Amino acid sequence: MSRREMEKFPRFRLMARIEHIILLVSFTVLLITGVPQRYATLPIAQGAIDFMGGIETVRVIHRAAAFLLVLGTAYHLFVSAYRWFVRRERVRIMPERKDVTDWWQTVLHNLGIINEPPKMKKFNWGEKFEYWAVVWGTAVMVVTGFILWNPISAAHVFPGQIIPIAKTAHSAEAILAGLSIIIWHLYNVLVKHRNWSMFSGKLSRDIMEEEHALELERIDAGGELWPHEGGPIDPRRKRVFIIVGAFAGIIVLAVLIWAFTFEQTAITTLPPITPLP
Amino acid sequence: MIRLQRVLLLLAAVFALVGVVLLLWHVPVVGAGTPMLQSAENPGQTPADLGCRLCHSDTDAELTFPSGETLPVQVDMTVLAQSAHGHSAETPLQCQDCHRPINDYQVPHAPVSAESIRDYTLQRSVTCENCHVEPHITNHPGPDDPDTPVGCTDCHGSHDVLTVEQLRNGDGTTNCVTCHEAVDVTSHTETELTQVIRTGLFTNSLTDGYCLACHRLPDRELEFANGDTVSTTIDGLALRQSVHGDTNPTGQIRCVECHGRYEFPHPEVIVESAREYTHTRNEVCAECHQDQFNETLDSVHAIALEDGDLEAAVCTDCHGAHDTTHPDEPIQQSSLMCRECHTEIFDQYAESIHGEALFEENNEDVPTCIRCHGVHNIDDPTTNLFRIQSPLLCADCHADTELMSKYDISTDVFDTYVADFHGTTITLFEHQDPNVESNKAVCYDCHGVHDIKAVDDPHAGIKDNLLVTCQKCHPDATDNFPDAWTSHFKPSLENNTMVYLVDLFYAIVIPLTVVFLTFMVGTDIYRKIRTGARR
Repeated sequence: MSRREMEKFPRFRLMARIEHIILLVSFTVLLITGVPQRYATLPIAQGAIDFMGGIETVRVIHRAAAFLLVLGTAYHLFVSAYRWFVRRERVRIMPERKDVTDWWQTVLHNLGIINEPPKMKKFNWGEKFEYWAVVWGTAVMVVTGFILWNPISAAHVFPGQIIPIAKTAHSAEAILAGLSIIIWHLYNVLVKHRNWSMFSGKLSRDIMEEEHALELERIDAGGELWPHEGGPIDPRRKRVFIIVGAFAGIIVLAVLIWAFTFEQTAITTLPPITPLP
Repeated sequence: MIRLQRVLLLLAAVFALVGVVLLLWHVPVVGAGTPMLQSAENPGQTPADLGCRLCHSDTDAELTFPSGETLPVQVDMTVLAQSAHGHSAETPLQCQDCHRPINDYQVPHAPVSAESIRDYTLQRSVTCENCHVEPHITNHPGPDDPDTPVGCTDCHGSHDVLTVEQLRNGDGTTNCVTCHEAVDVTSHTETELTQVIRTGLFTNSLTDGYCLACHRLPDRELEFANGDTVSTTIDGLALRQSVHGDTNPTGQIRCVECHGRYEFPHPEVIVESAREYTHTRNEVCAECHQDQFNETLDSVHAIALEDGDLEAAVCTDCHGAHDTTHPDEPIQQSSLMCRECHTEIFDQYAESIHGEALFEENNEDVPTCIRCHGVHNIDDPTTNLFRIQSPLLCADCHADTELMSKYDISTDVFDTYVADFHGTTITLFEHQDPNVESNKAVCYDCHGVHDIKAVDDPHAGIKDNLLVTCQKCHPDATDNFPDAWTSHFKPSLENNTMVYLVDLFYAIVIPLTVVFLTFMVGTDIYRKIRTGARR
C-alpha cells in the first residue's frame, strides 16, 4: 500500500456519520417495507410481505422506521440551524454557480473532450445534488407519510383530496428516491470507489484529489482541517435560537399529539362494522 | 166357578205364550251347529240376523231383474259359516253387516234397483269398503270402469269369501282364470296367476295409479307420535307436471322409485315427528342426484343440521317433494325458494337494485340468491373467509366488461378498489391468510349487503350519504373526509384532477432523473475505461 493510499484526510464528524447510519437504516427499511406495499398486487410483493410477517407487521415496521427517519431529520434540522444561525458557519452545502460549471466540465472530461477534470471543494456538485435531493425527498415523504398515517385528522384541516394526492406522491417519490440512491449513490460510493468515509470519517488522498481537489490544495497549503469550527458565539443569537427552537418544538409536538390522538379507527383493527345475519 | 175358569184360562194363555217364546228362542235354525246361533258380541243370545237366516237358509225364492235374469236368494249357510267372514273369523259377520242399509232389508224387502245380476254384484262390492277402508288396489279396473268393471267379489267371492291363506294356496285362482279368459288377458294359466298372488299381489307392476288410488283422496293424513300430522294426499297433476313427471328426460319417475321400501299395507312409521321423517327420507334424492347431494353435505345447512338444528334445509325444503319444479324457471324461482325460510333477507333483497331488476324486469343478469351464495354447497356467509373474498364475488359481474357495458356501469370499480387503501389491505390479507379477521371495508360495508341500492338512489344512495357511510367505520370523520375517496374513478383531468397531475409530474420526473443519473454514471464508466486502458 502506497503512502498516498495510506494518507487520510478528515471528512465527516462523528455525529454526521451517526446521522448517516440513521438515515441508511431507516431509508433501507422504509424502502424494503414500502415498495411491496406500492406493488401489493404483484405476487413477488405479496411474497415479500409474507416473508416480513404480513401486512400488519410490515406497516408497524414501516412506521417505526419512519419515526427513526423523522428523529434523525429533526436532529439534523436543529443542528444545521444552530450552526447557521448561532455559530454563523458558512453553509458549504449551498449550491453555487461553480457547481453548474463543475458539472458541465465533469461531463466533458468524462467524454474525453477536455483533459483536465474540474477542481472541486469539500462538497462537489454531485454531493450537493444528492443532499438536496434527500432534503426534498424527506420533506415530501415525511409530510405525505404523516397524512397517510393520520388521514382523518389530515382531512379535518385539509381538503379530503389531500389523502389520495399524498398517497400518489408518497409512492412515486419513494421510487424516485430509491432509484436515485441505487443508480447514483451506490455507484459513487461502492462501484466508482469503495468510499467508506461515512463510516471511518476519513478519505484517502486519491479520492480527495479526484473529487475534492480544491479542498486538498487548501489543506496541503497548511489550511485548517476543520476550518469552520470554534467561531465566536453571539449570546443574543443563542438566546433567540433557544426560544424559537423550543417554541417550534412545542408546537410541532402539540400538532403531532393532536393528530395521532384525533381518532383511532384508521390504524387500529376494530371488528367489522357490517352486522351479518 | 166361571170366574175361576176364566182366571185359569188366562194363566194357561200366558204360560203358553211364554212357552212359545222360550221354544222359539232355542230352535236350531241351520243343521246342528250351535255357534251360528250365538251373537259374537253377546254369546248366548240370539243373533240379530236370525230372521234373515230363517228364510234364506231354505227357500226356492228367486230375484228377477229387469234384464230377465233370475238370482236364487238361498244362501248356503254352511259355506257362509266356513268363509273368511264365518264363525272361524276373528270377527264373524252378520247378514246386515254387508246387506245395508238395514231399511232396505226389512220384510218385505225393498225392490232391487239393479238392472242385471252383474250390476247388482258390482253395486254390492261397495259394501266391502265399509270394513276394508283401504282395499288393496290392483291395476285392475275398479267397479266404476265402464268397459270391464271388476268388483271385490269377482276375485274374493261373496258368501264364500276366501281367506288370505286360501288365496295364497291358489283356492281362488279359478276366479281369475275365468275372467281373464273371458276378457282375453294374456296371463291366464292358474299356476301363473297363483304365483302373482303369492308374490304379494301385483307388486311387480306397481304403478302410480296403484298408489294414487288411495293417495289422491282428499284429507289423507299421517300422524306422528308427537302429534304432528302431514298430508299424504298427493296432487296427481302436480306430480305429473313436476320435473319428475312426463317431461323428465329419463322418463317419468314412479312413486315406488322413491318410495321403494313401501309395501301394502305400509309398514308402520316409527319416527317421532314429521321433521324427523323428512330427514329419514332425504337420502332418497341422492340415488339419482348424487353430486348435488354430496355438495349439500358441505353446506351451511348441513353444518346447522349437524349442530342439532332439525329445521335446517334439506333437499325437499327447497325443491318440494312431489311438486318439484325446475329451480331456474322462471329465473326468480330459486330465490323464492330461499324466501321460505329467509324471509327478512329476501324482503331486503327484493327491494334492492338487484332484486327490483329481477322481479320487476325479469332481468337475467342480476345476482339471485344462489349466484352469490352458491347452490348446494352454500358457504357460511358470516365467516372471515367469506368477508375477505366477497369483493371477488362482486367482481365476477362488476369487472365483466361485456356484461357491465349493457348497463353503462364502470368496470373500474374492482381495480380502483384494490388500488385504494381498503382494497389493497384486503387483497394482502386474502393472500396472507384468507381466514383472518379484517375490519377493512369490503364492497358491502359501503354499498349494503342484501339491500344494495343504486349509488344515486335519492333515498338510500351512497353518493348523498357518503359521510355517514364513512362514519360507520371512521366515527370522527369530518365533512372533508369523503373527498379522500376517489369514488372508483381512475384519476384523470376530470376526476381526481390533482391526483392525476401529481401522478403525471412523477411520470415525467422519474424517467428524466433516471436518464440523467444513468447518463452521468455512464460517462463516468466511459472515462474510467478510457483512462484505465490508456494507463
